[in-house]
Amino acid sequence: MTESTETHQLDITRVFDAPREVVFRCMIEPEHLTHFWGPVGVSTPLANITIEPWAGGRFETIMVNDETGEEYPSRGVFVEVIEPEKLVWTEPSFGITSTSTFTDLGDGRTEVHIHQSDLPEQFATPEAREGFNSSLDRFAAYLATL
Amino acid sequence: MPTPTLTEDELDATFAALADPTRRAILARLAAGDATVNELAEPFALSLPAISKHLKVLERSGLISRARRAQFRPCHLEPEVLDGAVDWIERNRRIWAERFDQLDRHLRELREPAPGTTEGRPTEGPVTEGPTTEGKQP
Repeated sequence: MTESTETHQLDITRVFDAPREVVFRCMIEPEHLTHFWGPVGVSTPLANITIEPWAGGRFETIMVNDETGEEYPSRGVFVEVIEPEKLVWTEPSFGITSTSTFTDLGDGRTEVHIHQSDLPEQFATPEAREGFNSSLDRFAAYLATL
Repeated sequence: MPTPTLTEDELDATFAALADPTRRAILARLAAGDATVNELAEPFALSLPAISKHLKVLERSGLISRARRAQFRPCHLEPEVLDGAVDWIERNRRIWAERFDQLDRHLRELREPAPGTTEGRPTEGPVTEGPTTEGKQP
């Protein structure tokens, strides 16, 4: 029971046969993102992508269902951008933070690791976590008024 | 992604409800069986109104329901809603897997453009310096 409430954490790792700079640029340049961002059956048109790769910048996409035209907007904000190593963004509507780490494997390949959690890493200290929890509480209270 | 079991709003409410450790503890307690507000308040150093507030958030998210019996109104866990949230995570895992498959394909294409597709394609801009000009063989 407690386990299932903690599963809204996701870790996924993939090795790409391309230099780290290239893989990183694919993640922050709309011209590239449009080629792979939508999962199967869903596209992300170039016009629907806003990427401002700096802390506080926007990371917004609207994915479109190829069949029904249904739109899936996502409004993220970058928390941390360290080119070409790390991208952290948060999606306030879900309270979910995604951290992607790009590791140069030294042989022209790059390992990308995506970690998603409801708790941003920089809030990992107990004091900070308390502050974060109270902001989550405020957020929950706000949601309750909708 | 298409046709989510829970709507975005429902998921928002569910995740917001799950974001609080007290509420997660309440859900864990309810997994063992229905309980009244008094029973739920017992293990926590919280006032009844504070617990009621948490219950209201949980109830609004659909994670719990409360019997209409006026006096005790025992709380009941609605596991399907929690399953919906877990489904969302699974879906998200699948989205990333598919995304990575397509990124892999895209990177391969950047490296070795398919014959005849180099011209007339929307320019993606050279991703690497230097080698791209060399790569254009006559």
